[in-house]
Amino acid sequence: MSQPIKDNICENAFFEHFYKKYAKDLHNFLYYKFGERLNPEDKVQEAFIKVWQNCSKISPDKAKSFLFTTANNLMLNAVAHEKVVLKYNKQPQKSATKESPEFVMQEKEYHQKLQKALSNLTEAQRVAFLMNRVEGKRFKEIASLLDISTKAVEKRIYGALKKLREDIKEL
Amino acid sequence: MNKDELIKKWLDNNLNSQEQKAFEQLPDYKEIIRLGNAMTSFKAPEFIADKSFEALKPKIYTKSHKNWYRTLLRIAAVLALGFSIYYYSGSLDTNINTDIAQLTTVELPDTSEVELNANSSITYNNRKWEENREVHLSGEAFFKVAKGKKFDVITNDGIVSVLGTQFNVKQRKNYFEVTCFEGLVSIKYNGSETKLKPGNTVKLIDGKHLIAKENIFASAPTWLEGESSFTEIPLKHVISELENHYNLTVDSDEVDTSRLFTGSFTHKNLDLALKSITIPLNLGYNKSGSSIVLRRE
Repeated sequence: MSQPIKDNICENAFFEHFYKKYAKDLHNFLYYKFGERLNPEDKVQEAFIKVWQNCSKISPDKAKSFLFTTANNLMLNAVAHEKVVLKYNKQPQKSATKESPEFVMQEKEYHQKLQKALSNLTEAQRVAFLMNRVEGKRFKEIASLLDISTKAVEKRIYGALKKLREDIKEL
Repeated sequence: MNKDELIKKWLDNNLNSQEQKAFEQLPDYKEIIRLGNAMTSFKAPEFIADKSFEALKPKIYTKSHKNWYRTLLRIAAVLALGFSIYYYSGSLDTNINTDIAQLTTVELPDTSEVELNANSSITYNNRKWEENREVHLSGEAFFKVAKGKKFDVITNDGIVSVLGTQFNVKQRKNYFEVTCFEGLVSIKYNGSETKLKPGNTVKLIDGKHLIAKENIFASAPTWLEGESSFTEIPLKHVISELENHYNLTVDSDEVDTSRLFTGSFTHKNLDLALKSITIPLNLGYNKSGSSIVLRRE
């Protein structure tokens, strides 16, 4: 691992690289945690601006955690405790003929159940689970982004899966 | 490996081929897979980092320009403050003093030279020198003035003006004396004006006014060479001058200090100096520490 050359990150080249590395993950994180209603795109920009404004006080190894904490706080300022309902995007079907109307109906119902069950998860569980199942991220990477241990990530994701399965059975 | 562990490994994309087979054998397998597949529909809206960075750049980089600008302003403010302090202090007068037994040479802004005798002081303004050559003197100084505009030496007893010349001004208590060594010197004092040619001296001592022509045509006063000379000067003024060059007090209560003295004393040897003064006047002295008592012989 290379040593940081300077104490802070007030350099254009570094900042651009830093942005392109984390912006999407940050956006998705905010979306999974808070939903779309509160403009995760804008919050991403705002968080990066705050990082730049405080660049002289941030060391390269602390930058990512500063970014995520700032973005999280920006969101928290904009939201009370609301139930987050994520949009369900219907994926295009491979071939319409292969599936019967019943099947399509069943799938639709299932997805609705899943949507409801997801909104019943705790925030912590939901975020970790979505990063894992939707973005395909492994435990270690999620742990790094959220600043928690791999074990904690595992607990949240496994807990989420268990709860979702129970909820879907119930509904 | 139990069921939970397998599922956890699957979640982490961490199954080897053996474990994968075992996982597929689980009764929960189908249900879990269905759930997993359905999750893909909950993907976050698209976010293209490159595009959004371009949108961010103007917001960020004007702000950093603001930082530059603010820093520049701060530097400018400090510089402005620095310059005004420098300018202000430059416009103040320059003051040079000599202590007892100390002689010094001062070069004025136009290369005019001032030799300052002991226990004297001059004051002048560096910044205003070009328009106005003016020196305030208290004590004694020999001036070598560079040719140019009017040069004034201002003392409490009178003003000496020259255009380019060499002259000596002595202003002590009850003693005002100007000697011209070269050129022409104009002196304003006592309400009148007198012009001096080389070799001439004007004295105002104890209220007595005298214009004299020195016989010895020196080019400069002797005190510059370490010797104070006097021509018919009351003893008390000789003693005063002695006290300017040696750190001592002279008690002259027992002698008549209005007696006139002609001669000189050295700055470099106190006993010799004392003898030079006392012997011609038939006086003696007692010395204890830095105190001299004069007595009649």
